[in-house]
Amino acid sequence: MDKQTNLENAQARIAEASDQAVLADLERELLGRDGLLGQQLKEIPSLPPPERGPAGRAANELKAALTAGLLARAAELAETDLAADREGIGFDATLPAPPVERGSLHPITKVTRKLVQIFSSMGYHILDGPEVELDWYNFEALNIPADHPARDSQDTFYCDEQGRLVLRTHTSPVQVRAMERMAPPFRLVCPGKVFRHENTDATHEHTFHQMEGLVVGKDISVGHLVGTMKTLLRGIFGKEIDVRLRPGHFPFVEPGFELDARCVFCESGCRVCKGTCWIELLPCGLVHPKVLEAAGIDSSEWSGFAFGLGLSRLAMLSHGIDDVRHLLGGDLRFLEQFSC
Amino acid sequence: MLISMRWLGRHVDLSGVDPEQLALDLTLSTAEVEGVERFAPYLSDVVVGHVLEREKHPDADKLCICKLDVGTGESLQIVCGAPNVAAGQRVAVATVGTVLPGDFKIKKSKIRGVHSVGMICSERELGLSDEHDGIWVLPGEPTTGAPVAEALGIDDWVLEIDNKSLTHRPDLWGHRGVAREVAAILDRPLLPLDTSLPELGGADPVKVLVESPACSRYIGLSIDGVGEGKTPDWMRCMLLATGQRPIDLLVDLSNFVMGDLGQPNHTFDRDQLARDGILVREAREGETLVTLDEVERKLRPADLLICSGDKAVALAGIMGGQDSKVQQGTGRLLLEVACFEPVPVRRTSARLGLRTDSSARFEKHLDPTLPLKAAGHFARLLQEFQPDVTFPASLADAGDWSDPACEVALNPDQVRRSLGVGISDEEMSALLSSIDFGVQANEKGLMVSVPSNRATKDIAIEMDLIEEVGRLYRYGNIPERHLTGALVPPPVDHRRELAESCRDLLAGGARFHETLSYSFQSDALHQMLGLDGESYVSVINPVQEGSARIRRQVLPSLLGLLEPNRRQRDEVRLFEIGKGYLPEQVSDRGEPGEVHELALVLCKARQSDTSFDEGCLARLMAVVQDLLSSLEFRELQFVAVEQAPVSWVHPVRRVELRVGSGDGACVGFVAELDPGLATPLGIDGELVSDTAVASISLDALLEQERSGGSYNPLPRYPGFKIDVAIVAPEEVPARDLSGVIEKAGKGNAKDLVVFDLFRGDQLGAGRRSLAYHLVLQSDKKTLTDKDAQSFLRRLERGLGEIGAELRS
Ligand SMILES: [Zn+2]
Repeated sequence: MDKQTNLENAQARIAEASDQAVLADLERELLGRDGLLGQQLKEIPSLPPPERGPAGRAANELKAALTAGLLARAAELAETDLAADREGIGFDATLPAPPVERGSLHPITKVTRKLVQIFSSMGYHILDGPEVELDWYNFEALNIPADHPARDSQDTFYCDEQGRLVLRTHTSPVQVRAMERMAPPFRLVCPGKVFRHENTDATHEHTFHQMEGLVVGKDISVGHLVGTMKTLLRGIFGKEIDVRLRPGHFPFVEPGFELDARCVFCESGCRVCKGTCWIELLPCGLVHPKVLEAAGIDSSEWSGFAFGLGLSRLAMLSHGIDDVRHLLGGDLRFLEQFSC
Repeated sequence: MLISMRWLGRHVDLSGVDPEQLALDLTLSTAEVEGVERFAPYLSDVVVGHVLEREKHPDADKLCICKLDVGTGESLQIVCGAPNVAAGQRVAVATVGTVLPGDFKIKKSKIRGVHSVGMICSERELGLSDEHDGIWVLPGEPTTGAPVAEALGIDDWVLEIDNKSLTHRPDLWGHRGVAREVAAILDRPLLPLDTSLPELGGADPVKVLVESPACSRYIGLSIDGVGEGKTPDWMRCMLLATGQRPIDLLVDLSNFVMGDLGQPNHTFDRDQLARDGILVREAREGETLVTLDEVERKLRPADLLICSGDKAVALAGIMGGQDSKVQQGTGRLLLEVACFEPVPVRRTSARLGLRTDSSARFEKHLDPTLPLKAAGHFARLLQEFQPDVTFPASLADAGDWSDPACEVALNPDQVRRSLGVGISDEEMSALLSSIDFGVQANEKGLMVSVPSNRATKDIAIEMDLIEEVGRLYRYGNIPERHLTGALVPPPVDHRRELAESCRDLLAGGARFHETLSYSFQSDALHQMLGLDGESYVSVINPVQEGSARIRRQVLPSLLGLLEPNRRQRDEVRLFEIGKGYLPEQVSDRGEPGEVHELALVLCKARQSDTSFDEGCLARLMAVVQDLLSSLEFRELQFVAVEQAPVSWVHPVRRVELRVGSGDGACVGFVAELDPGLATPLGIDGELVSDTAVASISLDALLEQERSGGSYNPLPRYPGFKIDVAIVAPEEVPARDLSGVIEKAGKGNAKDLVVFDLFRGDQLGAGRRSLAYHLVLQSDKKTLTDKDAQSFLRRLERGLGEIGAELRS
């Protein structure tokens, strides 16, 4: 066969190479030691000297031609592969994505964090206190002496017959403990678990979570309380929320209020606000002088306000939870919904 | 408490007042109104009918056929069974289509062959009383065809006030007290009410002896000539509107006076009273009394009794005795109006589970000047209905009481400071005067006279007056203000910070779910876990029998969640951060010791082909290890120790968790659950699971140092990866094998990881194979094949010394 025919044959085979693997085999065959080029190179030393030069050049030309052909075919094949890939055969956009399992934070933790963040940014101390509490802190120091009706109505779990130790019925005792060791002025909140002797149903629970707040300073007024609560609601709901104060009676504040917030779920009444457009959010008031005095703070010099946020209630409100028993029920089907 | 607007209208002009607006006003200034409802709405649907004719039904003895005018122009034929229906009467007619209480819809009908289009109603059918012997004959001559409610002037709106918002306001337990607030809110006058006693005769009063300080005042008014009579409709409707069922004139009047002034009262048959008169004394041990509700009450010495002579006739301030019931037709009465101390009434009523309208009011601490007014009010109303009654004797008035009215100084500047609003002295005086407080300006400010009805419990100090000013001024008129002051970053609470970091790491990378549990743990759980012998803080009044104990440890609380969750999920990953209480670590003041714990459970459906690193224990150890390293605790060790951390974990598959240099300090444990607990916990059978648990003391962790560690320079020379498989006797611990590898590596064997554990016949009995990935890398030179060969030779030699070998 003449060299020209060999080259044409080789080019034809290159053009027919169906994929990159065939092409790679072909490259080894053509350019390798025993291939077309190798044959030509092997012949060169046996040629008469004058022919060696031209033969060498011919070999180089052959190599260049084959290499160019191979590269061109490789580029063609790459283009075809890309085009085939881009056709995306077999893709089904409706096939569900595989689930990514994650963990979750309890809704009480989430709402507590949100509030703690808001209050921390306003310079409040975040305090913790015991769940098993002395009668003094839970009642006496809060202006709830023995025989006060609040002791019945708060339906207390007592830990001894003398009533010296109770499961705290609110987080307010933490404010007394704080006042005892801190010098005013101060601002603090105390989140935690509280207990009421109550049978449980969808809206009642004997164990729930609260957050007590206390500010003591000079000339603290009802206006400050309103301002603070509006700031808080802005932080929780991310928008301006109207509030209203109305009279409410709690032994450890005077005057005492119930603070209602304009319902965030409706314009003209809904199930959550029982059609009133107001949601009873928290009890609050100016700290009763007797409470300041019981904690060793001079009530003629200092005044303050206190408030009690229902964390369980807030968690239920913000997630639309309709049964309070889910909160401490430990059901994964519930917990999983609060992925972090 | 239910408040009738028509009733309020007896004390203050309510013309033009919208019920919803009034409810809102009261809510914002006085007490929470929870609902506003129209009284007996069906009284507006039935109309006044004029009976034109009454004929006997031809086919029924007890029925008659009536023709009525109901103002439509044509007469209506109604078949009626009442014996008292007669021509000329005005009656209440429910026409076709009207719906009566009980969802009873009036239809056209045929009764024994006679058409009837409507119904003539009895009082019971309209929900007014139990009277059903005949139809209700309307009093007077109301307009034919008009709705009965309007025609009789008994249409009404009822406000429901939340009792909880009245606990400190004894004055609001009657309509007049509420009316005083309404008058102040509307700026209308409170109408006068004559509560003076009528003329009394000169006979000796009934003797009254008060032996106990629990009765501060006892008034006895003798009444003669009481005849039978019907309570006027307006009064019966007001009682009905406020939830009181009308009974008879005396009972209705008694209830009306209580609902009007808030003062409970009681009538006795004077002829039944002992000659010694009334004795108010404490009960004797073992004494009993059958109360009006026909229940025999076992009494205790602290219970206060009203006695006729020495015989108990009423439980003071709570309920009368069965025997003291005044029979209809009794002409000679004794009206009791007394003041009882709140605490004994509350104790007795709570102990007996007997809460009445009367006890609810006495518990609020009633004004001791009120009984006299209530007696006068009762007497004047009775005289109005029965002009023949007389009051033959002077008033019995016993007890040691004093007028609680007081004076409280008010500094107007303090009002402005506390409320945060620039209200003038004159404005605050006007507000206080509007609720009958006396105000006098003096050089120091204002001197406020607090009337007795507000002074028993509510108003004693300046802040109490500030509340009065604030609520009447309306808190909504106080502008919001912002706190000012030095901004000092609050101190860091390390325990809170640690707990929060744990939550993030566990819920994040570890994919655990946070739960919160009750602090109570059941006796049954403790028995199951063998924890019965421990001492616990316990409540003496648990909600549920056998659930009185407060947990010492959090972890057991999670065990009860395994079975229900495993029913729903193949794998359960839960954690809780909470508190436990240890009664033996009691403080000087009596507070039990408090511990803070992180508890974890990992429970997974058991599989036969679980590889060595997929077991729950291994995975939970990995989670704990990762958690603590992420929290920058150094030198973490899992150590097998002799002593079990708790009695209910696997006797062998458990490790203690230690942190810190040397032996480290124990901060918790990771373990498999004892296999014997699977059945009691319900995770057996189709729910058979592997379960690992961990408990970490946050308190112990906080005592350990944390440090971010220092930077390691990046390697300067390349390394290469080698896999080695080692066959060793079972009893050679993995720690020894890794020690041999590290020794053979001469400091260059790095990133050692076990990737397989294998047992099989080809290895021989009692042997296992462990496979490792590792990297050979030096920080002094580039290692070569030759270095690898010598590493393997050294390794083979080292393994030989402990009876192990490289697996080819
Ligand atoms: Zn709403």
